[in-house]
Amino acid sequence: MRVISGAVWMLLVLASLIVGCDMPRDPEGTLRRATDGVLRVGVSANPPWTKVTDKAVTGIEAELVDAFAREIGARVEWTVGTETELLQALARFELDLVIAGLTRGTPWQRQVALTRAYVETASLIGLPPEVPWPGSLNGQEILARPGDPAIARARRRGARIVSARDLAAADRPVLAADWELQAWDFAPTGTILEQHAHVMAAPPGENALLLRLQRFLNERQNDVRAALPGMAR
Amino acid sequence: MKQSVAFEFPDARREDYTRARRLEWWTLAYLLSAVVLMALVMGQSQAMRTAWAEDLLSLVPPIIFLVCSRIALRPPSQRFRYGLHRAMSAAHLGASVALLAMGLFLLYEAASKLVRAEHPTIGAMEMFGHTVWLGWLMLPALVYSAVPVVFIGRMKLPLAERLYDKVLYADADMNKADWMTASAAMVGVIGIGLGYWWADAAAAGLISLSVTRDGYRNLRHALFDLMDQSPRTIDNTRPDPIVERVHQKLLAYPWVMDADVRLRVEGHALYGDAFIVPQQDINDLPDRIGRAVEEVRALDWRLHEIAITPVPCITGDAERDRPKG
Repeated sequence: MRVISGAVWMLLVLASLIVGCDMPRDPEGTLRRATDGVLRVGVSANPPWTKVTDKAVTGIEAELVDAFAREIGARVEWTVGTETELLQALARFELDLVIAGLTRGTPWQRQVALTRAYVETASLIGLPPEVPWPGSLNGQEILARPGDPAIARARRRGARIVSARDLAAADRPVLAADWELQAWDFAPTGTILEQHAHVMAAPPGENALLLRLQRFLNERQNDVRAALPGMAR
Repeated sequence: MKQSVAFEFPDARREDYTRARRLEWWTLAYLLSAVVLMALVMGQSQAMRTAWAEDLLSLVPPIIFLVCSRIALRPPSQRFRYGLHRAMSAAHLGASVALLAMGLFLLYEAASKLVRAEHPTIGAMEMFGHTVWLGWLMLPALVYSAVPVVFIGRMKLPLAERLYDKVLYADADMNKADWMTASAAMVGVIGIGLGYWWADAAAAGLISLSVTRDGYRNLRHALFDLMDQSPRTIDNTRPDPIVERVHQKLLAYPWVMDADVRLRVEGHALYGDAFIVPQQDINDLPDRIGRAVEEVRALDWRLHEIAITPVPCITGDAERDRPKG
């Protein structure tokens, strides 16, 4: 009998909740406060995702945030800072969103609420026109921007890295992002060194805001993908 | 000395045993599917994580039962003259240590999340072109994980009683209580949905308490069995009446002046010694003892081996502590 009553009880709870309940809600009420109010967004420069000048905050993520704020009738209040500073403030509910070209796998992923990827990119080897692909990285000269973390992976596979600032004019295989290769008309190879899932960060546990933002981002995945090559031209 | 007999179960029990094995296979398959389903919809909810860990842990007793009941039924060998019944006790001990450790760990996790006021994040998932909050998927996953298991648990309970199998009993008992775990986790998830971040860690704490309690009770039981505690009924509420029945049986022989019995549990089998004070003028004592051994063993199928030793008088602590009458 106890089992039956347990099962009935469980179903009752479930049913009563499905009927007329706006779940999830934010424990700190961020979405409700920002709607028709102010959305406090932290931004750290990381082109092309975020660009910060004296006059304005632009970039792919900044435009997304602007559009999201319009959707909920909020005015954006930008705070420029370093990633660490901003995410710390976010984790303490002093900011409502942080954009900084963040990717999944950031050490902050447990302290803040990350969205799902709104776009996925890859670092891979691309070939300028007329440049043949030897089939392996081993012993191969590769042009790469200094400081690109994917370089370490290319080195491990035996590539000889040559530093170059401007990869668009390269005469040898390059290590770059997939959307850059697309913009320069370079041929992508199958040699993918790293994948990046691009995300935004919301305060921890603010599930209503996160869900609203997620729905917004999901509708724009294709637009972002299409806009990316334009950033490299 | 009588060897442990290869014949383990009477016919009726053998059927129960086959059925118990079948049910444990079902339990295993079902719980595995629940564990996979829950892993798919798991966000950062600690209650969900704890319920998941509990389901993962409840895979252990069926595995122990399925593996060890095979080993335990092997006939005695030159090396293991008493048979291998204690394989079950050893596995039971190991599993209960794991259960207890896991329970304490989960309890610590829940407590530290409460103390640090950690707000659990539950994201969304794309489903059929819709962005669905994961919490909505967790609730049916929890119902799925619990409801059938409760019924399987209730089916296993009487089998465990008839087979006098403690691992099976503990398993069935945990399954039976699974709806409480699932409802606690659901309350946690719903709490998050309503914006109460602490509901999650609190629910997780409750579940981990129940895991810890299960671990503690099982550990105690397994330890006491290995320390040759006198047999107790399967629900561990009172001494097994079998000891007194053997005692009375021996006292009923007219040639026995006094008797004392001690039994211990190895898996589902009972082993032990009886001491009797025979009358002075018996000359076919070995024959009488031989017959008595057979008749005592016929009292209960669990009595595998009992050695009857004639002694001049009964003394000792066990005798002093035995309740008279």
